[in-house]
Amino acid sequence: MSPALLELRDVSKVFGDTVALAPTTLSIEDGSFVAIVGPSGCGKSTMFNVIAGLLAPDGGEVRLRDQPVTGATGHVGYMLQKDLLVPWRTVEDNITMAKRLTGRVTGSDRAEARRVARAYGLGEFLRHYPSALSGGMRQRVAFMRTLVTHQSLLLLDEPFGALDAQTRLEMQQWLLQVWKDTERTVLFITHDVDESIFLSDRVLVMSPRPGRVVADFTNTLARPRTVETLTEPAFVEMKGRIMHLLHGGAS
Amino acid sequence: MSVAGAGGFGLGRSRPRRATERVSRKVARNVGVPLLSMVLLLAVWQGIVVVFHVAPYIAPRPRAAILAVTQNWSTLWPLVLGTIRETVYGFIIGAALGLSLGVIMAKVPVLQRLVYPVLVLSQAVPIIALAAPLVLILGFSVTPKVVIVAWIVFFPVTVNVLDGLSHVDQDLLNLARVYGAPRWRTFLQIEIPATATPLFSGLKIGATYAVTGAIIGELAASDGSSLALYQEHANSNLNTAAVYGTTMLMTAIGISWFLLVVGAEVYATPWQRRTVARRSWRRVRDEIDA
Repeated sequence: MSPALLELRDVSKVFGDTVALAPTTLSIEDGSFVAIVGPSGCGKSTMFNVIAGLLAPDGGEVRLRDQPVTGATGHVGYMLQKDLLVPWRTVEDNITMAKRLTGRVTGSDRAEARRVARAYGLGEFLRHYPSALSGGMRQRVAFMRTLVTHQSLLLLDEPFGALDAQTRLEMQQWLLQVWKDTERTVLFITHDVDESIFLSDRVLVMSPRPGRVVADFTNTLARPRTVETLTEPAFVEMKGRIMHLLHGGAS
Repeated sequence: MSVAGAGGFGLGRSRPRRATERVSRKVARNVGVPLLSMVLLLAVWQGIVVVFHVAPYIAPRPRAAILAVTQNWSTLWPLVLGTIRETVYGFIIGAALGLSLGVIMAKVPVLQRLVYPVLVLSQAVPIIALAAPLVLILGFSVTPKVVIVAWIVFFPVTVNVLDGLSHVDQDLLNLARVYGAPRWRTFLQIEIPATATPLFSGLKIGATYAVTGAIIGELAASDGSSLALYQEHANSNLNTAAVYGTTMLMTAIGISWFLLVVGAEVYATPWQRRTVARRSWRRVRDEIDA
C-alpha cells in the first residue's frame, strides 16, 4: 500500500440538528490529486475546515504523515473561491503573505516569490496591486501564495468557481502544470463534474443529509490532459456515473 | 454552491484607472477644479454685496476682507500660529485616543457595550456648554483648547475604526489562522491595514471640525490674545471687514489641516489610486542583491 499523506478516521461534525459530516474515513495518497464533488450542504467545505484546523470535529481524528493534527492549524495550504488577496500589498508581497503572518519575510522568501511568479506568467506584475489584475490572474497569485507555504497538502475549495468558462479551462491546465512541477498533494473541491474528472487521479462524490462520501472513483485517464480528454469515451463514461450519483439517485 | 462568496470576483473597477495619466491633466482636475470653486464662491459673495447694495458694516466685499487680513498680518500671524498649535495638538491627541478606543472596543465586546453610551453622551453635550467648566478646571492655558479639539476629533475616529475592524473579511482572518498566524500578527498585518480607509474617513471628519473646537476654546478662555478674541474686538469696533477676514483665516486653517490629512491618506494608502507600487528602498536592495 502506498504511503498515506492524510488520513481521516471517523471524522464527524454536527451543527445543531444538522449532520454536516457523518463519520468519514479517508486516506489520501502522497502526491495525488483528489477531487471532491457534490452539491451544496454535502459537507465538502466542513471537511476542509476540519482538515485545516478551523473547525474542531465532534469525533474522529485527522492525521498528517501519521501525526495527529486534529484541531491544529499551520499544516496545510488553503485556497478559496475568493482570492483573499490584500489590496494594500503588491503581487510579490501577497505571495509572501503567509511568511509575513508567521514570522519575518526574508530576502530569499521574496526571491522565491519572484521566481514562482516569473515561472508561471506573472513576472510582469510583481509590483502591481491586486486591483490592477484580472480574476484569473488574481487566482494565480492566490495559488502562488498557497504554494510558497511549502505545505505538502493543498486544500483548494472551488478556486475557479467564479471564473468564466474560458479562463477556467486555462486555469485548470495551468494548475495541472504547476502540480506536476511542484509534486504536491491536492484536495480539490468543485461542483463541476467535468472539472473534477479533468484534474484528478481520484474523484470522491459526496451527498448531503447527512454529509458523507458516497462513492470513490479511481481516475485512470492518461496525462497530460488536454481539451481532447473532455470528449474521450472513458471521460464521458465516468461523467455519466458521477452525474447519475449526483442527480439520478436524488429524484 | 454559494455564489454569494464570489464578492466582486473577476469584475473590474467600473472606471478603469489608466497607469499613466498626463500629469497636467491630473493637476488640473485635482487642484484646478477645487480652486475654481473657491473663486466662484468669492464671486457669488461679491455679486450679492454689489447687487443688493449691502452696506459695508453689514458685509464687506471680498477684497476688503482680504485686505483686512493682509494689512494686519504681523498682528494676526502669531494668533494664527496659536490656533494652529491648538488644532494640531488636539487633533493628534484626539486621533490617538480615538484609534485606541476603537481598537479596544472592537477587541473587548463587553467594554464596547459599556463605553459606547458614554461616548455618544460625550458628543450630545453641547461643546460650548462644556468649554466654560473646562476653562475653570484647566485654567487659562492652551490645555482647555486642546482638550476641546481632542473631544471633538476622537469620536468620528473611534466610530469609524470600530466599524472598520468589525467588517474585516472573516475568510481572510480564517486564512491567517490556517497559516498558524498569531493573533497579534493578524491584527497588525490584516486588521489594521484593512481599517485604513475608515480610519482616514474619521480623521477627515475630525480635521474639518478641529478648528471649530479650537475657536470655541479660545472664546471660552478669554485670556491674552487669540484669533477668536481678535474677531470679537473687531466686531465690537464695527470693523466688519476684519470680522469677515478673520473668519476666512479660520476657515483657511481648517481647510489646510483637512488637506494635510488628505495628503497623509494619499501617501499612506497608495493602493487606492495606483496600479503599481512606488519604488521602495527594500525593492532597490533586492535588486542589488540579485
